[in-house]
Amino acid sequence: MSTATPITPLRSVPFSLERLTIVAGNTFLEAVRQKLFNFLLLLAIALVASAQLFREFNFGSSELKFISDFGFGAMVFFGSTLTIAATAQLFFSEIENRTALTILAKPIWRTEFIFGKFLGVFAVVGVFCALTTLLLLALLYHRETALMAANPEAFESGRLIHYGDLVLLGVLQWLKFGVLAAITLLIASFSNTNLYTVVMGFFVLVICHLQYLARDAYGQVAALPLRLLVQLLGYVFPNFQLFNLADQIGIGAGIDTMVFLRIAGYALIYIAVIGGLAVYSFRNREI
Amino acid sequence: MTPLNPASAIEITGLTKDFSLNLGGVKLRAVENLTLAIPEGQVFGLLGPNGSGKSTTIKIILGLLEPTVGECQVFGVPSGRVESRLNVGYLPEAPYFYRYLSGTELVRFYGRICGVPRKRLDERVREVIDWVGLSGAASRRVGTYSKGMLQRIGLAQALVHDPRLIILDEPTAGVDPVGSAEISELILKLKTQGKTVLITSHLLAQIEDICDRVAILDRGKLILEGAVNELVGLSDRQSLIVDALPPAEIEELRDWLASRGHTLNAVEQPRTRLDQLFLSKVSRPQKAGDSP
Repeated sequence: MSTATPITPLRSVPFSLERLTIVAGNTFLEAVRQKLFNFLLLLAIALVASAQLFREFNFGSSELKFISDFGFGAMVFFGSTLTIAATAQLFFSEIENRTALTILAKPIWRTEFIFGKFLGVFAVVGVFCALTTLLLLALLYHRETALMAANPEAFESGRLIHYGDLVLLGVLQWLKFGVLAAITLLIASFSNTNLYTVVMGFFVLVICHLQYLARDAYGQVAALPLRLLVQLLGYVFPNFQLFNLADQIGIGAGIDTMVFLRIAGYALIYIAVIGGLAVYSFRNREI
Repeated sequence: MTPLNPASAIEITGLTKDFSLNLGGVKLRAVENLTLAIPEGQVFGLLGPNGSGKSTTIKIILGLLEPTVGECQVFGVPSGRVESRLNVGYLPEAPYFYRYLSGTELVRFYGRICGVPRKRLDERVREVIDWVGLSGAASRRVGTYSKGMLQRIGLAQALVHDPRLIILDEPTAGVDPVGSAEISELILKLKTQGKTVLITSHLLAQIEDICDRVAILDRGKLILEGAVNELVGLSDRQSLIVDALPPAEIEELRDWLASRGHTLNAVEQPRTRLDQLFLSKVSRPQKAGDSP
């Protein structure tokens, strides 16, 4: 078995995108073979599909709006659950099963390991968002076509739904889940248990969704130090309300490209910064 | 204690490792002022009771833990650097691998992580799987493997990048005597290939059979280190194994020795070892392949 020349001679080990994608690929494979992913995906698809069962009977744009809101609501709920649960589970399965020992005993940087884990989860959530968005678009198209045939005067100016914008909305949800996955990974990097990570992940999710309320309230009445503190926390916790453009786009109105790009950039910056903090925390963790 | 020398695969100098037990600053000293050199090309046994600091020492060698004080070098590279792991293969205690991968996929995964060139990867994966005797089960999911098979696939993943140093943490834990003997054979084969092997085990008979040198840790401190033959051999005694003698002849022999100033200390019937008897009686289903 011994070879004349070593397969891996002594050399420096630069950061490798290949190793990162190997870890990401394995994480993705592990995730899709977990029952939780399949369960949440099926549940989300069922809920999105059921949106047309709950439609209102005053045919027109309000029914389409209801289906769209219901579908994206299901995507946000199950996507958030999937993101937090999958990130925590895929991280702690490596720690608790000690597969992290085997892999980190290889010539691999912890940065590659953490970002590999992130990319694996991000890909899983991407598949989830793509499938639910496609299903929602198909449902809306089918229903809009039926409504156009039954009620042509309401559609004199053509189709009401901006399908391209709904795809962009799906992309924004995916990016939001990416930020959430990075936050969960940061918590996991210093946490000792899966349960603590999941609970804290949901806690931070709620803060990120509601922080704009606190900013608005304290911005009006609170004293300057408290106002500054709230403003600071507003930068620490990303504002997830920014990603909720469902009321503004999709039906009736289009999306401003600059708005989309700004929100996407906002998400990517948070992913990079929080991911960097997770790497820093994990580098100091004793395995 | 072995003097540090440039031909060492591992050099540990004044190593101390403390773990914080709580926020109040209470610490547990897992390893205390350990200095050790493990020569290249030898099989080295690291022994000690549970909690003696063996696993902590191994984790520091692998760069998984930072020493509190002191340093550890692997082939001259500080163990905290990623480069130090280029020539190290590691089989953890009671290994648990990705259950959803087949044996081939698992070894291939670790081979890619270790940077085995793509054009050699498939061939190399086949080689090591064949070498550990798992060719027949290579396409099966790891989740269906027995403990002995898990140890062998673990050995295959540790060897896939042809490292110079192989660290085996309790490689025979939970493995039956047949599997244990096969792992011992594989370790001896590694030695013939010039590899350095660092092994921990509670099976002292096995360690005695395969190790050139051993170190014994107790409560984090090195209490004994040296060549196995020197440590367990009694230099002032000899055994003479002869055909069975009647009692009268034994008495004659005793008198003859006494007349020359020697003492017959014991008359015993030689015994085979139980593990050897076991291995000679039971069938061995899978024979590890020879070196390709």
